[in-house]
Amino acid sequence: MVANFEAIITENGKGIFHLFPALCKGCGLCIEKCPVDTIGWSRQLGFLGTPVVEPGHGKPCIACKKCELICPDCAILIERRK
Amino acid sequence: MSVQARPAIPRSWRPETKPHKFCPGCGHGLILKALGMAVDELDLQDRLIFACDIGCSLLAWDFFNIDSIHTHHGRTLPVLTGLKRVRPELIVVAYMGDGGAYAIGAQHLVNAAARNEFLTVIVANNSLYAMTGGQMAPTTLPGQKTETTPYGREVKAAGAPVLGPELVDSIAPTGAYIARGTVASMIQLKNFIKKALVHQIEGKGFSFVESLSTCPTNWRTNAAETWHFLEKEMSGYFKVGEIRQ
Ligand SMILES: Cc1ncc(C[n+]2csc(CCOP(=O)(O)OP(=O)(O)O)c2C)c(N)n1
Ligand code: SF4
Ligand code: SF4
Ligand code: SF4
Repeated sequence: MVANFEAIITENGKGIFHLFPALCKGCGLCIEKCPVDTIGWSRQLGFLGTPVVEPGHGKPCIACKKCELICPDCAILIERRK
Repeated sequence: MSVQARPAIPRSWRPETKPHKFCPGCGHGLILKALGMAVDELDLQDRLIFACDIGCSLLAWDFFNIDSIHTHHGRTLPVLTGLKRVRPELIVVAYMGDGGAYAIGAQHLVNAAARNEFLTVIVANNSLYAMTGGQMAPTTLPGQKTETTPYGREVKAAGAPVLGPELVDSIAPTGAYIARGTVASMIQLKNFIKKALVHQIEGKGFSFVESLSTCPTNWRTNAAETWHFLEKEMSGYFKVGEIRQ
């Protein structure tokens, strides 16, 4: 079975940033690991009623997918912009 | 913009049970992500048995789309030993915490390693007893504050931290695979787990991977402090790498 979750999609730099609020627990681990510091807190709330994250707070995203890999809840999906 | 999409979760995860039961920023989710990726790459989902212990690892009882067992501290090993001996075609994985593996259930780890049982053991080392509220564990670092060491662990009174993979290395006969990874290096951790599983598939013997892990809840750390404690304090004491190939 493939579960579908709603994603908030934001284009930034080289990446298309998909954030799944139903999965994001607002731990902030991704914010610390982004090499260009583009990830920051969003106004949207996630699974636990805490803020989710969004790109656009630093330099443009380089689509390295580090945030996708280290999210313990798989709440981020990065696609490379064509 | 908001659209229906598929998160990048491993195929072997069970999506209906997500978000999983671990706290925000918990390393258990990352270790099980690395295990899920390894299982997917080896296409093992249908012949794997996943067994979790007591401690926060038990919150993984419905984590995978894989037949799963839950036992008491350390008993994952004798239970899987029996299973593997009766059904050698199955690939069995024990998932335990450092308290379960190195203290409360240590006799089972020691004897399974000594007998070179064909099991894969994955231990989450988060430096304390997490599920019960953050007491000192065998792996608590010198000077680390926990619920039961409010002034920091004193080596003179409480001994030095147990080095799990090194302990297994001193017991297991030739043929074992032993490594220590960290959730700070996910691809390396996935590769260690994959090698451990292949070791069992090829019938070479006991395979053991400890992973350094995070527990922001009991460490009482924010995200920056969590990474710092894992990557500087823990990795400084517990050496990451393969001990036996
Ligand atoms: C024989 C026994 N002693 C104590 C306990 C209480 N207990 C339950 S979970 C736990 C801590 C487990 O810590 P660890 O194995 O490090 O896993 P974590 O929760 O940190 O992931 C303890 C002490 C128990 N269940 N059984
Ligand atoms: S996207 Fe993942 S890593 Fe980032 S805050 Fe949310 S749960 Fe934590
Ligand atoms: S893909 Fe890389 S650059 Fe882009 S947001 Fe994630 S971590 Fe930052
Ligand atoms: S208490 Fe610690 S180990 Fe247990 S789920 Fe929470 S963060 Fe993870």
